[in-house]
Amino acid sequence: MIIKNMLYFIREALNSLMRNRLLSFATISTVSISILILGIAVLMTMNAGSFMNRLESDVEIIAFLEKNLSSSQIRDAGEEIEKMDGVKQLTFVSKKEALHRLQENFGGKEYNLGTTIGENPLPNSYEIKAADPHNVADIAKKVEKVHGVYKVNYGQGVVEKLFNITKWIRVISVIFIVLVSLGAVLLIATTIRLAIFARRKEIKLMQLIGATDWFIRWPFFIEGILLGSLGALVAIVLLLLGYDSLISKTDSIYFFSLLSDPIILSKIYISLFLTGSVLGVLGTYISLNRFLDV
Amino acid sequence: MLVQFYNVSKIYPNGVKALDDISLRIERGEFIFLMGSSGAGKSTLVKMFFREEIPTRGQIFIASRSIVRMKRSEVPKLRRNIGIVFQDFKLLENKTVSENISFAMEVVGANIRDIKIRVPEVIEMVGLKGKEKCFPGELSGGEQQRVGVARALANRPLMLIADEPTGNLDIRISTEIMELLYDINRKGTTVIMATHAQELVRAAHKRIIMLENGRIISDSLAGEFFL
Repeated sequence: MIIKNMLYFIREALNSLMRNRLLSFATISTVSISILILGIAVLMTMNAGSFMNRLESDVEIIAFLEKNLSSSQIRDAGEEIEKMDGVKQLTFVSKKEALHRLQENFGGKEYNLGTTIGENPLPNSYEIKAADPHNVADIAKKVEKVHGVYKVNYGQGVVEKLFNITKWIRVISVIFIVLVSLGAVLLIATTIRLAIFARRKEIKLMQLIGATDWFIRWPFFIEGILLGSLGALVAIVLLLLGYDSLISKTDSIYFFSLLSDPIILSKIYISLFLTGSVLGVLGTYISLNRFLDV
Repeated sequence: MLVQFYNVSKIYPNGVKALDDISLRIERGEFIFLMGSSGAGKSTLVKMFFREEIPTRGQIFIASRSIVRMKRSEVPKLRRNIGIVFQDFKLLENKTVSENISFAMEVVGANIRDIKIRVPEVIEMVGLKGKEKCFPGELSGGEQQRVGVARALANRPLMLIADEPTGNLDIRISTEIMELLYDINRKGTTVIMATHAQELVRAAHKRIIMLENGRIISDSLAGEFFL
């Protein structure tokens, strides 16, 4: 029954969309805007997330060793650290190596740091990489207690700051999305209400002739879904174009590479499309319940 | 027996008692006039047949089924067996004669083949051949009501309910519509017609149910009542 009548329902829905052209246009635009904001927010949080992961994986723990350790004591400390949970990689940097790096970074060829500062004041150290960046702070705390370690350094604060920023992006975009989606749903409901009003005589007649409730409801649901999904489609096209050009523009910036996995992206776009349709169904549902006595 | 009312009363929420203890029996194939001045309860009674109104008290059976206890989802099925003709025709202005009739079949899910056969059939029956492509606005009042009758017949109802079908028509055209309804009745459809046009009823020699203040005050053949 439903499949047989689908053509009729779709025809009725399209007629109704065309009858209230201006309102249909306004509704589709509002849905587009809300889906667009949603899409931007999702892309931003996902990119921030992957950016943070990369940044965090670069965060190293440096354990500085006390001056007067024997080489076996140094080895013991290294072994103890290596046994800890979550430690991925351990590198020993001797005081000589450390001075060498300092020379390369700051001294260049004009100054010979070795002669300028006299005796090498730098300590021996271990560079530790964590398997999971989230554990950096924990590992650092444990390393601090290892015998022979007198100081531990890691990107204290940086990670937390990034977390905070993404948290705020999330909160603000959720508020925005909720508000704009609410507007979109209400506008869809209004459009459907007008469609019901325009056809009220027809609907009454259909009821008296013996049309089922669902036969009467279907065209309105299709109209609502069309409004929602058309709006989503417009938003997705805009996002696709905008994001693609953003990717090609940031391509040359090292460390700032945008998420470009086509599978993840298409999943995002499909979800956005479905969200639009759901908004349409919601709007229709509200109006059908309030204004259609079927 | 097609319809049976048992002690049906209807009291509207505003306290108006529209029907008061109506009991009534209608056989298959009957032609019945419902008469009474406006406010006598005709409209409410008519609406009971297709469950547009539900009794406050009492029972109504149509084809042995209680339509009072009927579930909402079963109402469309009931209505498909009842053709309704309205005083104001209720034609869709943006649809042609043919489309108005096929609409009635489409909305109850008839298949396209049946619609293509049935629509010309009922158009011929009501004498509107040649006007299939006209819009209601291009037709006279009598012709519009013929479309209304054709639409009511399209789904082959057991029963035709006509609520003041000639209320908006002059006497000559009304007589034509009456001939059409008698003709339909002769072919086996039960017809129930609410009217206050005494001159039509007097000529008919059919069963007449008179209502006053929501009660049946007489139920008899035309001859007996008007003599």
